[in-house]
Amino acid sequence: MRIAERARGLWMLLRRGKAENELREEMRLHRELRERELQGNGATVREARASTTRRFGSETLWRERARDAWGWRWLEDFGNDLRIAARALRKSPGFALVATITLGIGIGANTALFSVIDAVLLKAAPFPNADRMISVHVSTLLFPNFRLGLSWPAFEAVRTQAGAVEKAAAYSSSEKTWIANGEPSLLSATGVTEAFFEQFGSQAQLGRLLVDGDQEPGRDHVAVISDALWRTRFGASPQAVGQRMILDDESYTIVGVAPPQFSYPEKTQVWTPLALPAAARAQPIFFMLDVIATLRRGERMERAQEQLQAIASQLAKETPDLGTGFALPATPIREEEMPRSKRGYFVLQGGALFVLLIACANLSSMLLARGLERRREMAVRSALGASRWRLVREALAESGLISMLGCAAGMCVARGGVAIFQAIAPADTPRLSQIAIHAAVLWFAVGVSLAAGIALGLVPALRAARTAPNETIRQSTGPNALARDYGKRLKFGGGLVVMEVALAFVLLSGSLLLTRTLAHALQESPGFRTDHLLTFDLPAPRQIQAQSDEAQARRNAARAKAILARVASVPGVEGVAITSHPLLTGMMSMSSNLQVEGALPARSEERSAYLRAVSPGYFQMMGIPVLRGREFTERDSEGSSAIIVNESMARQYWDTLDVIGRRISTSLDKKKQPQWREVIGVVQDTRDVRVVDRPVAEYFVPILQSSSGGSVLVRTRLEPQTLAKTVSRAIWDEFPRQPVTRVMTMTQTIAESLGDKRMSAVLLDAFAGIGLLLALVGIYGVIAFTVARRTQEVGIRMAVGAQPRQILGMILRQGMLPIAVGTVLGIAGALALGRLLASQLYGVKASDPLTFAGAALLLGVVAALACYLPAKRAMRVDPVVALRYE
Amino acid sequence: MGRDEIYPGTLDLLILKTLGRESPMHGFEIARAIQQRSGDVLQVEEGSLYPALQRMLVKGWVKGEWGLTDENRRARYYRLTAAGKRQLESEVSQFERVIGAMRKVIEKA
Repeated sequence: MRIAERARGLWMLLRRGKAENELREEMRLHRELRERELQGNGATVREARASTTRRFGSETLWRERARDAWGWRWLEDFGNDLRIAARALRKSPGFALVATITLGIGIGANTALFSVIDAVLLKAAPFPNADRMISVHVSTLLFPNFRLGLSWPAFEAVRTQAGAVEKAAAYSSSEKTWIANGEPSLLSATGVTEAFFEQFGSQAQLGRLLVDGDQEPGRDHVAVISDALWRTRFGASPQAVGQRMILDDESYTIVGVAPPQFSYPEKTQVWTPLALPAAARAQPIFFMLDVIATLRRGERMERAQEQLQAIASQLAKETPDLGTGFALPATPIREEEMPRSKRGYFVLQGGALFVLLIACANLSSMLLARGLERRREMAVRSALGASRWRLVREALAESGLISMLGCAAGMCVARGGVAIFQAIAPADTPRLSQIAIHAAVLWFAVGVSLAAGIALGLVPALRAARTAPNETIRQSTGPNALARDYGKRLKFGGGLVVMEVALAFVLLSGSLLLTRTLAHALQESPGFRTDHLLTFDLPAPRQIQAQSDEAQARRNAARAKAILARVASVPGVEGVAITSHPLLTGMMSMSSNLQVEGALPARSEERSAYLRAVSPGYFQMMGIPVLRGREFTERDSEGSSAIIVNESMARQYWDTLDVIGRRISTSLDKKKQPQWREVIGVVQDTRDVRVVDRPVAEYFVPILQSSSGGSVLVRTRLEPQTLAKTVSRAIWDEFPRQPVTRVMTMTQTIAESLGDKRMSAVLLDAFAGIGLLLALVGIYGVIAFTVARRTQEVGIRMAVGAQPRQILGMILRQGMLPIAVGTVLGIAGALALGRLLASQLYGVKASDPLTFAGAALLLGVVAALACYLPAKRAMRVDPVVALRYE
Repeated sequence: MGRDEIYPGTLDLLILKTLGRESPMHGFEIARAIQQRSGDVLQVEEGSLYPALQRMLVKGWVKGEWGLTDENRRARYYRLTAAGKRQLESEVSQFERVIGAMRKVIEKA
């Protein structure tokens, strides 16, 4: 019934032109018939017409009431309001433009960042069952602070004994040498058990994924390649399926191509069945298998964790050597996938939010000023019978319209912002290329802008509607026009300025802190010469890693030596060294359970240190001073027990640098006796893991004793980049199956290692810059408005003898007061929020007074400028003109 | 003029009743019928008929059809629908309840 009514009403509305004409025709007929009747009763034409009109009432009013009856009046009114608002905005294009840009920047920055966070953080694990998927790890006090993999028996226990687990699969990633077209390269390969792909619910885009049965011996030489590999190396050819690829000297048949979005674990290029030798399967102390599992529908994480804990206790009972505190922690796969610098993104989103708040404050101030300027118009219309609701509605329509314009502008800004982010974000940011402004984010932006517009529009609109019209009209024409009104405005405008300044201060200090962090990190010397240094990794081919007998080890050493000699002979190479793992990439190896002869008793608990294997001459070539003793020579390579420690290690364990001849055991021999090594040298500390990590205890052993690949460092005479190709070719000439990877200069490595810091600093700088600019505009707007309103007062003051400089001082004093208050609030806010930023900082405290002083100074100068411009205008006021001003 | 204004809300009832007695009618005929029936005592501001008719069209109580008058003028003729008849009954009984109650109050006074 109600619906039928609505529909009939809508029908009338849709054909309202016709309906109106019909109504008009009915009324005309009515009046004509009435006039004729009256004339028939003896009235004159004129009398009849007047009487008819009296009896009929206002035709316009009745027609309007009839339209009301259709029940769609509000829609029509809405359209009218929008039309009026659009007309009003067209009449003040400056206001419309500034408001649109202001809101657009605020919304755009937030939308862009929200899109980024959505793609990078929230979109993690885009699998249908991602909510039920967990990854299982091992933690044990044998290797504190490390997340390890499971042994095969542990995996089997999880798979079969944990009731909450529906499916589980193990996988293990490694790098495999792939020789294609004569160029060896390294692929990131993942061996997987049954039930791996099916948990993700993915379908192959070509061929098939791995299925049950692929793991059986004899049938297990099949491979699935990633979409990226397929596109870059197989030209996205359908013929890729069925081709053979040689990985670590074994031949695999490609059976399928994974879907485009699928990369689990991240960056895998090829998946093969997991090949685990029987001996490894039986080994309980083995930390190599990563496990993903899907919980049964309706199972809770807590129950799975309890069951895993029970399994862990059982395993630890069976094999005490697993170490104390052996546990099987589980993590939801969504959390697993988040990048390390998660907090950095939230800092950035906070920055964007501040920009939006400043933008809103500006807009509010603009709308308020506009509301006041239009007071008289409103009052006149109100006096002519416009209802308050109608005036409020119109003002709301105007701010709503601005919101929509701002929203459109915001989408453009967001698009640009995402492009900028993609350009400056570290290349290993997950799903970087998939960032898109999608529907959810669009609605977010529309919601924010509408809410902002309505909220901001409401204040001035309600105020305009509340004022009694006669008072407004009298006030704005009387001689003392605006005194009271001006006071209110100053209070509200002052409040806005305080807020804007406080927000801008927090933004500015945050961006200065991050910028200084970046500067500190870039200036930090890692403790070795980074110039003219080319680096590349030499992963050892599998057959070398696998062999362990003495004779082979010697052959390996000879091979590594030959490679180094070959590189050293390249023209332009000044020196060459090799180390076990690359410098400044965050990679390190940790040695625990050290035994240190003569260590200070207090330090006997800390028995771990970083470990790095280096070739003879490493320290000299890297420019690392040897403080005591000597560095490794060729003689140390032949099974010597020499060891070099860094300064920190010497001080930590012995509290002196004179430690030559002291002994350290880094491992036990077969009879569980310590294998002692003798300290032959002490070297200066370096920051070889990360530039921003403080040096810790580290010791060095000769690499050629055990060589199996490593990272090569080449000191060059010329720009290191120019030698990159030559050096790779020189190696391939002699060792055609030797992959050469990650060829980079040390300068590039450092820049890349600081990528996320750079990104945070650049983006927050941008936000702070925008925030400052908006605050400048906002403060300028408020001051300019108050100055304009006080023109009359200034005129009077000047007429009675005030000097222009006094006027300037007066305006500046009053303008700067809220700015000072805002700065104080901003300092308080920055101190309160400093905690969140602290983990992102390096070399500077979150409460750094110098930074705060700098931010306050910068803000003060900008604010003073914003006050000065309108104040200067006030100074030039001609009293005669001012007194006439209304 | 000595004419009484009608009680608010009773206009619908008057129109429905008029159309119930004789239909179809166009707007002027309805107005005239109401005046004549009430012996020229009840006076509506005649234009108010039209918003009321529109409201009733939307509610589905009456249907309008264009036709020709005796003098060959186009006019919209209104007719009660089934829903309109039901509405008329309920309004009449409600009206009588109210009038009855008022009469009692007045008589006691």
